[in-house]
Amino acid sequence: MISESHLGRTYPPTEPYVVSAAKVAEFAAALGDATNPAYQGPQAIAPPTFAVVLSSAAWGAMFDDPELQLSLSRTVHTDQRFVWRRPLRVGDEVTARLRIDKLRARGTSAFITIVVELDAGGERVCDATSTLLHTWPEQGAA
Amino acid sequence: MSSVLAGVEPGTVLPRITEHLTRDTLVRYAGASTDFNPIHWSDRAADALGLPGVIAHGMLTMGTALRVVTDWCDDPTRVLSYYVRFTKPVVVPDTDEGASLDFGGTVTKVENGVATVSVEALFNGSKVLGAATAEVRVD
Repeated sequence: MISESHLGRTYPPTEPYVVSAAKVAEFAAALGDATNPAYQGPQAIAPPTFAVVLSSAAWGAMFDDPELQLSLSRTVHTDQRFVWRRPLRVGDEVTARLRIDKLRARGTSAFITIVVELDAGGERVCDATSTLLHTWPEQGAA
Repeated sequence: MSSVLAGVEPGTVLPRITEHLTRDTLVRYAGASTDFNPIHWSDRAADALGLPGVIAHGMLTMGTALRVVTDWCDDPTRVLSYYVRFTKPVVVPDTDEGASLDFGGTVTKVENGVATVSVEALFNGSKVLGAATAEVRVD
């Protein structure tokens, strides 16, 4: 099970993801912001919270780590922070790297804070920090 | 600098917006975000987890709420950081109206060209995001 000994554990970065104009337009439309000119055309930037598309892609590495005994279906996302150094742009080739940052265990549940660093072309673009509340079944087996 | 940012000071109130989240919105957001958790589109899945109904993605509420800030400053590249706590689920019924969310924002601090905006998201009169705060470059 996840413990203090896993603090600082970092997983290999995700495969590069290329931000496309079509995906940016789709995301903006889903937020009811389809007409915002910032999100249109080949020079578009992505809506700020588009970063979650990249950061959540990095979660799999941690959930697949057999030592931690975590299951996405037993996880509730309790808070989210983004810090941007610059916006994500159409054409950016982005990788995401997850680090286990904090752990607060309490009986059969734990608050796990993860930091996902997004890099585009070797440049840090965004840090996405999430707190996840994970609950294990009473008997301890995941 | 856009004129709206010239006079920004603590207490500045951002224009409110109202958005209706429907099942259509949830399906679009699922596809756009690639978060296909069925509690965001299947009554059966939501029911099995003891939820009061299909609920909106927390990130959809977070992203939509930030429009209060980006509509106001008219330039999403000015947003430096954004934090929210997901405090209450937004239940989205399968109706034409869906769930009506009311968003607002108030500037709480301006320092070194950066305004801190406290963001409010209300659903049926109660807050669904806690401690929601965005930092926006205003110089």
